[in-house]
Amino acid sequence: MTDTRVRTALHWLLGAWMALVIAAAFFWAPAAAGFKGESSRIVFFHVPQAWVAVLAFCVNLVASLRYLRTRNPLDDARAAAAARLGLIFSLLATVTGSIFANVMWNSFWNWDPREVSIAILLLVYAAYFALREAVPDEERRASLAAAYAILAFVTMPFLVFVVPRIYWSLHPDTIIGATGKLKLQMESRMLQTLFGSLVGFTGLFFWLYTLDVRLARVRLARREREEE
Amino acid sequence: MRASTLLSESLAVLGKELISELRSRVALNAIGLFGVTTLIVVAYQIGPYQIQEQDRPHLLSALLWIILFFAATSGLSRVFVKEEDAHTAKALRLAARPLAVFAGKYLFNLILLIALFTLIVPLYCALMGYAVRGVAGLVLVLAAGAVALAATATIVAAIIARASGSTTLFAILSVPLVLPLLVMLIQGTRAAAASAELAAVVPALQGVVSLGGAVLTVSVYLFPVVWHD
Repeated sequence: MTDTRVRTALHWLLGAWMALVIAAAFFWAPAAAGFKGESSRIVFFHVPQAWVAVLAFCVNLVASLRYLRTRNPLDDARAAAAARLGLIFSLLATVTGSIFANVMWNSFWNWDPREVSIAILLLVYAAYFALREAVPDEERRASLAAAYAILAFVTMPFLVFVVPRIYWSLHPDTIIGATGKLKLQMESRMLQTLFGSLVGFTGLFFWLYTLDVRLARVRLARREREEE
Repeated sequence: MRASTLLSESLAVLGKELISELRSRVALNAIGLFGVTTLIVVAYQIGPYQIQEQDRPHLLSALLWIILFFAATSGLSRVFVKEEDAHTAKALRLAARPLAVFAGKYLFNLILLIALFTLIVPLYCALMGYAVRGVAGLVLVLAAGAVALAATATIVAAIIARASGSTTLFAILSVPLVLPLLVMLIQGTRAAAASAELAAVVPALQGVVSLGGAVLTVSVYLFPVVWHD
């Protein structure tokens, strides 16, 4: 009962937080200099979406590793839930990035290294689900998907950090630069809104993730009862 | 004692692969003919004179790796599927430890890739008028590329053999994994073509060797899971 109350309170808090973030992004934070019109405001949504896409990839990796150790079907459900959300958030990051690119450079897609990175991340997630759907046996599906997820994770640092460094990029500087130091030269209200949004989107991810995992837990419990 | 057993088992698996391939020549025919056919189409339609001088370094290195990668895809995916098709996978599981199976199949794929590169690259240079200044650099890039591509292809081939065994699934799973590798290989090939200095290919080689090494190491740990589950 207490659990449900805490959960309900957290849901309301998340809703209020996200509403505040949206309001702050449009009315409180100023538009950044050097960008066309109000286009820089998309950063408050685009960056957190890209962050959640990467976070989901990490959660997917941890759940996949856990599955290979424990062979618990719930860990496989956790990995699949994280990948599903990762796919949605990387799609959102691609769309918001494309809108920004069109405003700034008059083209939705420029084959910029960052665009290539996110496109390949999308392909990896799509391939992960193509593999899951190709295996009818549940246990085999779980272990093959876990193996593929771990393999894909190994190539990601090369895609995210190495390839964009080889090619010249139009993309504005990322938050963590090539030296690994934080490169944040934003106006303080923009910075506060961005961090607020990062926290909000992370909360949103974990809320959706928990819902998916709870649903999987109920399905597994029902099947076990039917088998008995 | 243990190391020598592993080595002998790996070499036995490699020997079995080579003998059965020389009998059927399915993979050799697939990658060789696919490579030559694609090369002929590209050379006939584009040839040495259709590309503007300033575009040649970019396009010629990219076209070369597109031909090599897709030709390789047609043959490398079979390495585990054929065991499932012939119902010999169970016998192989009993006969050799997983690491030896992986090592044998990996070496077989590596030999196939080297054969493909040896056949296609000189033909490509001749037919497309691709003048390479740093031949030693290009050989190094091709060798590192073969080692890294064989690693990814072997583990993905093992995964698809346990899934549905389709070549389409092999392409779907392997393309996102090898794209960063192909980008670095194209960069390295372009650098080798432009300069006789070995130093020109070093940045690309570092990327290819580290990515190939990382995939190979992880594959060694993952293969028993894929092979036995």
